[in-house]
Amino acid sequence: MTRTAPLEVRSLTKRFPIGNAFHRAHVHAVDDVSFDLPSGRITALVGESGSGKSTVARMLARLYEPSAGAVLFEGSDVSGVRRRKHVLHYRSQVQMIFQDPFGSLNPVKTVRHHVERPLRIHRVVPRAQIEERVHELLRTVGLVPPEDVAAKYPHELSGGQRQRVAIARALAVEPKVVLADEPISMLDVSIRIGILNLMLKLKEERGIAFLYVTHDLAGARYVADDILVMYAGQIVECGPIEQVLSDPLHPYTRLLLAAVPDPARKLHAQRIESRKGHASVAVDPSAGCRFVARCPLAIDICSRVTPRLVEERPPQAARCHVTAPAPERAAVPAH
Amino acid sequence: MSQLDPIALDLPPAAAARRGRGRVRVPGWFALLLRNPKSCTGLAMVAFVVLIALIAPLISVEHPNDFNILATRQAPSWHHLFGTTDQGSDIFSQVVVGARRSLLLGAAAGALATGLAAILGITAAYAGGIVDEVVNFLTNVFLTIPPIPLLIVVAGYLESRGLWTMVLVLALVLWAFEARILRAQALSLKNRDFVQAARAAGESTRRIVFGELMPNMISRIAAAFVLVFYIALLTDAGLEFLGLGDTSTTSWGVTLYWAQTNSTVLQGEWWPFFFPGAALAFTVLGLVLLLAGIDEVSNPRLRTERTRGRLLRRLAAALVGGRALIRREEAA
Amino acid sequence: MTNLVQHDETTATSRSDAAALLQVRRLVVEYGVGAKLARAVDGVDLAIRRGEIIGLAGESGCGKTTIANAVMQILRPPARIAGGRILFEGEDLLGKSTEELRRFRWRNVSMVLQSAMNALNPVMRVGDQFVDAMRAHQRIDRRRTVARTGELLELVGIDRRRARAYPHELSGGMRQRVIIALALALDPQLIIMDEPTTALDVVVQREILQQIQDLQQELGFAVLFITHDLSLLLEFADRIAIMYAGEIVETGPAERLGVNPQHPYTQGLLNSFPPLSGPLTRLTGIPGSPPDLRNPPSGCRFNPRCPHCLPDEPILYLRQTTERPLLRVVESGHEVACHLVAGAPE
Repeated sequence: MTRTAPLEVRSLTKRFPIGNAFHRAHVHAVDDVSFDLPSGRITALVGESGSGKSTVARMLARLYEPSAGAVLFEGSDVSGVRRRKHVLHYRSQVQMIFQDPFGSLNPVKTVRHHVERPLRIHRVVPRAQIEERVHELLRTVGLVPPEDVAAKYPHELSGGQRQRVAIARALAVEPKVVLADEPISMLDVSIRIGILNLMLKLKEERGIAFLYVTHDLAGARYVADDILVMYAGQIVECGPIEQVLSDPLHPYTRLLLAAVPDPARKLHAQRIESRKGHASVAVDPSAGCRFVARCPLAIDICSRVTPRLVEERPPQAARCHVTAPAPERAAVPAH
Repeated sequence: MSQLDPIALDLPPAAAARRGRGRVRVPGWFALLLRNPKSCTGLAMVAFVVLIALIAPLISVEHPNDFNILATRQAPSWHHLFGTTDQGSDIFSQVVVGARRSLLLGAAAGALATGLAAILGITAAYAGGIVDEVVNFLTNVFLTIPPIPLLIVVAGYLESRGLWTMVLVLALVLWAFEARILRAQALSLKNRDFVQAARAAGESTRRIVFGELMPNMISRIAAAFVLVFYIALLTDAGLEFLGLGDTSTTSWGVTLYWAQTNSTVLQGEWWPFFFPGAALAFTVLGLVLLLAGIDEVSNPRLRTERTRGRLLRRLAAALVGGRALIRREEAA
Repeated sequence: MTNLVQHDETTATSRSDAAALLQVRRLVVEYGVGAKLARAVDGVDLAIRRGEIIGLAGESGCGKTTIANAVMQILRPPARIAGGRILFEGEDLLGKSTEELRRFRWRNVSMVLQSAMNALNPVMRVGDQFVDAMRAHQRIDRRRTVARTGELLELVGIDRRRARAYPHELSGGMRQRVIIALALALDPQLIIMDEPTTALDVVVQREILQQIQDLQQELGFAVLFITHDLSLLLEFADRIAIMYAGEIVETGPAERLGVNPQHPYTQGLLNSFPPLSGPLTRLTGIPGSPPDLRNPPSGCRFNPRCPHCLPDEPILYLRQTTERPLLRVVESGHEVACHLVAGAPE
């Protein structure tokens, strides 16, 4: 598996403490999440705010430390690694693109500086070739002429251009994995497709494994091969994206699909009926399905026993007692 | 005191590269300071004082504190522009030479305090953990020490009351206030994506503090410098006025001290008080305006819209009571 | 500026507007002075009929929020209205006094903004804010305001006891409902909604939109729904107007626009929304970026990015680059401003 999936995630968990000394509780931002990121494929991580998807991405980028679980890079666990040399090696292979195109670039530094730094830190190319490599990277992401663009400051570029700079920066180290955290949600509609097309091109040409974190199902369908649906810190459904979207198992996935605007139908044609509630973050959750308060299919067992991910229609799996009940023998976790 | 809200600082959009059309390439932020009327005025005032201090040896007498029995207590005249003290010293020379000391003191105290505050505050914010705890503790300790009493006590005990002692003490007393503000701003910057991106790229802590965080805090650090500068000036003058400084040096505060001890006002002589006081007030005012301008330039929300003639129109409307004037302006 | 061909009064917008609630005629809003003069809104005509939901779609910087602010008369300097008229029930808003405008706001037209936290006072209880709003615009005693607050909250699906809560104690979706309820407080005839659901999750967004539709059918107000999300408008609005660089380039019934978009920009926009079902093809979006309004392209403002603007056809190209296209009718209710479309100038 390590050849085809440079990054493997096993039971990743992140808890944040809240409250004070008298009344301490924990927010289970990410709970027991497992998946692989295969080379040359784009995996969409879909969920609403509070579902934990950004936290997962940041843990993979080693910006947060996991509370439990393991992140396996080329077979070995990196979550405990502290030595600068090893951390640096990881960072040279796993890169991240952020949501806010302006916030992810230092306002007082030029484009050249942003793309150059990773080249220098990781000594990707000898000094003499740095300038040329910077230009090459800018050309790859479609920013031409590179000499002019390299001298500009972030505020002189449009949102789409800034995001391309961020992508160039991520590509500088020739990573195997790129984590894209909502890279287009703050861009104008007409330029989003350009960025998505760029991601597809990079996946095909360079075999990079992408994790595409988003709340936009339609965009995910356009770029991704596989999908992971998160709710309240857990993966509730996963599988090949076409299969999951055409025939969703989990009630939350169905709710999402019904809620996304689809011009092919009029608003009143599909009203969603769900009991009022919102994707709240789980604070010290008790056993039972976390979606039970909003689920139209909930039965008795749902409030008592936490469902497990079951491959109801391999490789599509869901975490639901009703639509993907655990067989009598031990259930096989997906992927 | 500065109105700066540490969280709200964003570099103004035109802050970076401006291809200067003229022969002189002026850095973007400097051009902005020049455009803002407050900071422009303040800068001009401070520049004027600096100029005077620079040419001081050319326009003053050899030894400003010299006694000259023949010329005591003379009102301002062409011979003695600011008059003379009761001992016959030329006040103009005292003021002009005193400017040197004041500027040097203010700049040194400002640089030292700000440097300390920046390095400690920003590193504490970024590193977090135990480093943060230690720096916070230090900051809190220094903050609770009342500055004036401390200075009085120190001045009373120290053998030398020279310039550098004063600089050191002022810096030690004033750094903590700024450290807290700079730490707060660095904390808010720390979570910005570009800092996280630098971490993800593998940058070291030192490079992040000096290369990513500090350059984005220049305006706040500059404001800190100006703030400490004028507080140092006022504090130093105040201490000297109380007689706690070195009364043999040439400085504004000392001139004021001698004026007070010799009861010159009682004799109707206003010039030993007025001129050094005015010099001090002028310099501090310049610095305060500069500070306000820096605030406005850094925080766009503080900028008031300056439509031409708006102030005059409002004034006219208030005087004349013309509602029509106000209505027309509001409809615009 | 580009040469504006003489715009006849008897144009599309003054067709039988017996039911027109709001009419914007050749509105021009400018920012800045001298070399930095920019026209955020440049000669816009828009009509909103009673009880209809009209969507105003466009990307950042196209001027849609400026129009909303202009209608509410809350433009702040350096923005100013430099021309045109805004007629509400036949009366020009630009001639009204401050007092009249104060009465007009909230009672005839109210506004819902993108971020509820920009509209709600964080240190006041929700119920008190209703009281505040109502008493600012009409004489009403406290008991009646409290009763009405309860009514309004229930109308938007919030338990009336939540009136005692502070804004931060409510979720994002609930806060947004609160400001919708606030907008309804004085029973206005038109509600302007500027990106009301953009910051919300997709499920909450749909719930809120359903709520707005239900309320609209019950109370009969008109809605000017401003957003960049055209796919939302296609489902939700009765009519849609597409804005680009300060001008309206196409208007028409939502179904027609979705099925038969005429303006290349509208086509490009629609081509930027990947489908949720059906075959997947490579989309292209629209290359380039919106123009700098201080110096917009001459002629049709979309010409630098338009796939149909090519020098190969010199006569057409000349028109596209020198003459601003006017809105022309292509079919009933559907107008397009494009040199490629030969419609009736009416």
